[in-house]
Amino acid sequence: MQNPYIPMPVEVTKIVTEVETNDIKTFRLTFVNKEDEENFKYLPGQFAELSILGKGESPIGIASSPTQPGYIEFTVQRAGLLVTGLVTTALHDLDVGARMGVRGPLGNSWPIEFLEGKNVVVVGGGFAFTTLRSLIHYMLHEDNRSRFGDISVVYGARTPGLLCYKEELAAWEKRKDIKMHVTVDKGDANWKGREGFVPTVCKEVGPSPENAVTVICGPPIMIRFTLPVFFELGFAKENILTSLEMRMKCGIGKCGRCNVGHKYVCKDGPVFSFEELDRLPRDF
Amino acid sequence: MLKKIALEKFGHLVSAIMEKGPLYAPVKGGKAVDFQEIRNPADVTLDFYNTAMSPKFVFFPQSEDMIRYSLGKEATEAEPVSLNAKPSVILGVRPCDAKSFEIMDRHFLGAGVIDPYWNDKREKTTVIGYAFDPSTAADPADFYNTLGISASDTAGSDIFMIRTDKQLLFKGITEKGDRLLKDLAVLEQGSKTEEKMFDDMAKKSSELKTRFMEIKDDAIARKFVQVFDNKEFWEKATAACISCGACTFVCPTCYCFDISDETLFRDGVRKRFWDACMFTDFTLEASGHNPRPRIFQRYRQKVCHKYSYHVDKYGCISCVGCGRCTRSCPVNIDIYSIIESASKL
Repeated sequence: MQNPYIPMPVEVTKIVTEVETNDIKTFRLTFVNKEDEENFKYLPGQFAELSILGKGESPIGIASSPTQPGYIEFTVQRAGLLVTGLVTTALHDLDVGARMGVRGPLGNSWPIEFLEGKNVVVVGGGFAFTTLRSLIHYMLHEDNRSRFGDISVVYGARTPGLLCYKEELAAWEKRKDIKMHVTVDKGDANWKGREGFVPTVCKEVGPSPENAVTVICGPPIMIRFTLPVFFELGFAKENILTSLEMRMKCGIGKCGRCNVGHKYVCKDGPVFSFEELDRLPRDF
Repeated sequence: MLKKIALEKFGHLVSAIMEKGPLYAPVKGGKAVDFQEIRNPADVTLDFYNTAMSPKFVFFPQSEDMIRYSLGKEATEAEPVSLNAKPSVILGVRPCDAKSFEIMDRHFLGAGVIDPYWNDKREKTTVIGYAFDPSTAADPADFYNTLGISASDTAGSDIFMIRTDKQLLFKGITEKGDRLLKDLAVLEQGSKTEEKMFDDMAKKSSELKTRFMEIKDDAIARKFVQVFDNKEFWEKATAACISCGACTFVCPTCYCFDISDETLFRDGVRKRFWDACMFTDFTLEASGHNPRPRIFQRYRQKVCHKYSYHVDKYGCISCVGCGRCTRSCPVNIDIYSIIESASKL
């Protein structure tokens, strides 16, 4: 019986600094044991516990898509507002070639079957975009694209330097099978793109609720102002999905820490529809 | 199968069990009686009402090593601690506590993921339950009757033990229990007389009354969902709480744990250890946000988890009415009263 508390060894093979403040990096990890790689079957939306022995573990969304074989990627912010993030700080100090551990894939995923045949509106803010990036790669892949309707993306950050995955955003702008609306709260001298808060841009884009599902990930304040926009547009709560975050430890629904009502965010989530969230106690 | 032994030969039985592997039994230490791993057969006592701490530590130790590592070494050289519990026996478990093992099984072995640490010890341990003494009134804090448990309930026990004036009678409840009974040559075969004595004593014990109110799992689960947003109720009920966590630590069905890496110089261990949703930092996030910053929110979580969420998740209330939380609370908070009040709202 596989022990679900023991991480699998991985090696860091690439590190990309995503933002001008240098506190968000994307780590590319490859499995040391081929068997572990073969068993790590995941879907966009899932997460893993990144383990550094001596520091601890952090639950981070998987930023790569299963359509990108041979490695998994995680975009991690060095946490440290009230509490210094032990694990994320240690992660940021790693060099290419370092060894660490991964436990996963954990949690539920974006409901691919539910999204198939529908128009998908992806809405992201800041670096909460990571599992949305995974979803976009997955949907755009030639094996999958035909199963989804129109794909549109609203992605915003506070400034141009804080946008993640800049190269991929640019590549997607050039494609015809996805509509990108990248925005910043405040541009700079070089910014030629849109300016405006994410909720405002959503309103301007005005996606139709007809046979559509929206997937929203971002800081609480963004979600608080974006939700009403989608309600006004006529989206039903079961067609608005999000991914929750809570303090986690085991990641497998045993330690009791991350519950909202009878759901464990690590096991029954992190993906929930707003209809499901409505039925849970307001405990977050 | 019914076996027996004279009370004065109890020490021989303890020694016989100890020959087979670790034995956990009640030991008197200072004021309280608590389960311990037995070193000396004479330490075991059967003269107690119930232990101060629950026996859950036998399957879920307060601290448990998971991975041993050395800083500087490759991650692949870290050693997961191997799971090789020895076949053990826990003797003297009151019916409410025996039932708690079954409730914890639903959590640790259920929901599609088996916790290997709990499973390893649970598989290899035989539980000898112990009926409450019918001539001693139930402790006023107890309310296991409310949870459908009687003072001679055999649920959760592999063997059930009843004490008479001069003997100890043992009834095999499960196959695992029968196997151990067969193996213990020091026990004598019980006759029809003893079988009747066992049933009579069991019946007498079962007539022991604890605090009782009629609650149906689904109804109380829905009630707490209804009452969740009633801030006034919760603030009032939990006004005295100091968030000390004693209730969680003595509770047989509380299972929250933390995982931490503890390093001394270069060597360290990743371990899990008991935690409590009552503690301030339990849900504190690295961003600084805390979903439950106030005590009433945390106490509400505890009660709603036990009497509502657990019902939805696992089909039963996560409480056995053992009364320990009430007895150990330094500010006299009584969960039974809270449930009673909530059910009347």
